[in-house]
Amino acid sequence: MGFVKRTPAAPGADDQRQRPRDCAGLAQSLDDPDPAVRRWAARDLAACPDSSALLAARLAGEPERAVRQAMLLTLTELADVAAVQGLAACLRSEDVALRNDAIEAMKNLPRALPTVMADLLADDDADVRIFAVNILEALRHPEVESWLLRVIGRDPHVNVCATAVDLLGEVGSERATEALHGLKLRFPDQPYIHFAADLALRRIQGEGA
Amino acid sequence: MSEIAISSEDFGKFREFFYRQTGIHFDESKRYFVDKRLAERIELSGAETFRSYFSMLRFQSSGEELQTLTNLMTVNETYFLREDYQFKCLVASMLPEITARKRPGSLVRIWSVPSSSGEEPYSIALYLLELWPEIARWDVEIISSDIDTSILAKARAGRYSARSVQHVPAELLHKHFTALPGGEYQLSDELRQCVEFTRVNLAEPMDTRAYRNFDVVFCRNLLIYFDDLSRRKAAEVLFDALNPGGFICLGHSESMSRITSLFRVRKFPEAIVYQKPETP
Repeated sequence: MGFVKRTPAAPGADDQRQRPRDCAGLAQSLDDPDPAVRRWAARDLAACPDSSALLAARLAGEPERAVRQAMLLTLTELADVAAVQGLAACLRSEDVALRNDAIEAMKNLPRALPTVMADLLADDDADVRIFAVNILEALRHPEVESWLLRVIGRDPHVNVCATAVDLLGEVGSERATEALHGLKLRFPDQPYIHFAADLALRRIQGEGA
Repeated sequence: MSEIAISSEDFGKFREFFYRQTGIHFDESKRYFVDKRLAERIELSGAETFRSYFSMLRFQSSGEELQTLTNLMTVNETYFLREDYQFKCLVASMLPEITARKRPGSLVRIWSVPSSSGEEPYSIALYLLELWPEIARWDVEIISSDIDTSILAKARAGRYSARSVQHVPAELLHKHFTALPGGEYQLSDELRQCVEFTRVNLAEPMDTRAYRNFDVVFCRNLLIYFDDLSRRKAAEVLFDALNPGGFICLGHSESMSRITSLFRVRKFPEAIVYQKPETP
C-alpha cells in the first residue's frame, strides 16, 4: 500500500460520448431515463446552435439538479434569443431553485437579454419585475441605468422601486438625480424609499465632488 | 505615484460591487491596498476619474478589466503547506469518510489542479506520508495537472527556493529535501515519485474526459481568474471528475456556492469544503 502512479484512465468503452453523436440523437437523449445520459446530452448540445428552444422547454420538467445545471450552462453558452426567452419563462415558476438558477443564468447574457428586458420590466406580476431588476444587478450592459430610471419613474409597486433604487446607488450617475427626487415624491409615506433614494443621491453627488 | 484620489463613497461603491462579483470583501483596514490598485488601474486604463473607470468596469461586456483588477487584488504565491488547514481536513475528516465507503485496500484518487510548480501536490503527499497512518492500508494516487508544460517540467524537477519551503518544519525539511549550493532545495526522489504530472486544459472537453473517479480535488485559486462562463464550465468538469460523495477544496477567497449549486457545502472542524452529492 502507499502511493501508486498510473496514467489517467481513458474513458470506458461504454462512454457514449466516444461515439459520434448528432444533434437529433442528443435531443432524443434528453428523454433517456438515465440522468447521466441526459446530463451529457445537455452538455454536448452546446455544439448544436438550434437547440435552445428544446433545452429551455425541458428545463422546468427536468427533475435532476445536475442535469438542469448542464442545461442552464448550455443555454448560457448558446446565448441566443430562444435561450433568453426560455429562461425568462422560468421566472414565473413556483420552483424557487429553478427561478434562482434562471436569474443567475440570465445575468450572463448581456447580448440577448435586451430583447426581453423591456417586457420583463413591464410584466403584470410585480415579482417578475423584481426578478428582472435582480438580473440587472450583475448585467454588463450600457442600458442598465436607463432601465432602472424607467422603473423608478413609472413602476407603481414600492418593492420593485426599492429594489431598483438600491442598485441605482451603485450604477447611477447625475442623470439619476431628478428621477430619485421624483421617486420620493411618488412614495411620500415610504421611509425606506426615502432612505434608499437619499443614500443613492449621496453616493452620486459624493462621487462628483 | 498616482494622483488619482478614491473617496470614501467611491471605496464603498467599489467594495459592494467587487464583493458581489467575486465574493471577496475588503474591510476598512484594506483601504490603502485597494485604493492603490484602483488608482493604478484607473491610470493605466486611460480613465480620467473613478466614475468613468467604475462605469467601464461595471458595464464592459467582455469583463476584461474586472478580470485584470481581480488578478491584481488577489496576487497569490505558491509555497509548501500553503493553507494547510485543508490538508489537515483531508487527513482528519475527508479521508475517513472516503475510505469508509471503499473496500479495504482499494485506491484513493486525488487530483490537484493547477499544479503550478508542484508545491501543492507535493504538500499533499508530504501530509499523507507524515500524518496519515492509514496510508499503509490504502493505495493513493495523486495526479496533478496544469495547462503550462514549462511549469510542469519545473514541478517534476522538484527544485525550490528557500522562500518556497519556509513553512516546512525543519525536521521534514531535513528528511525530504537536500539543501543545494545557492540556497535552493531539492525535493527527495521518494516524494517526487508520489505525484503524476499531466497537462490539461480545464476549458477543453477533450482534455478533461479522461479525468474521472477522483475522491478529492484540490482546485485552489484558479477559478477566481476565470470569467463567469468559464468558471461554470470548469465547475461542471470538476463535478464530472469526482466520484459521488467526493470532495473539492477551493482557495480561501473562492466559493463554489457562488458558481453553481451542483455541490453541497460541508463544514468540517478544520475547513469548509464542497461535496458532490452521493446520489444525483
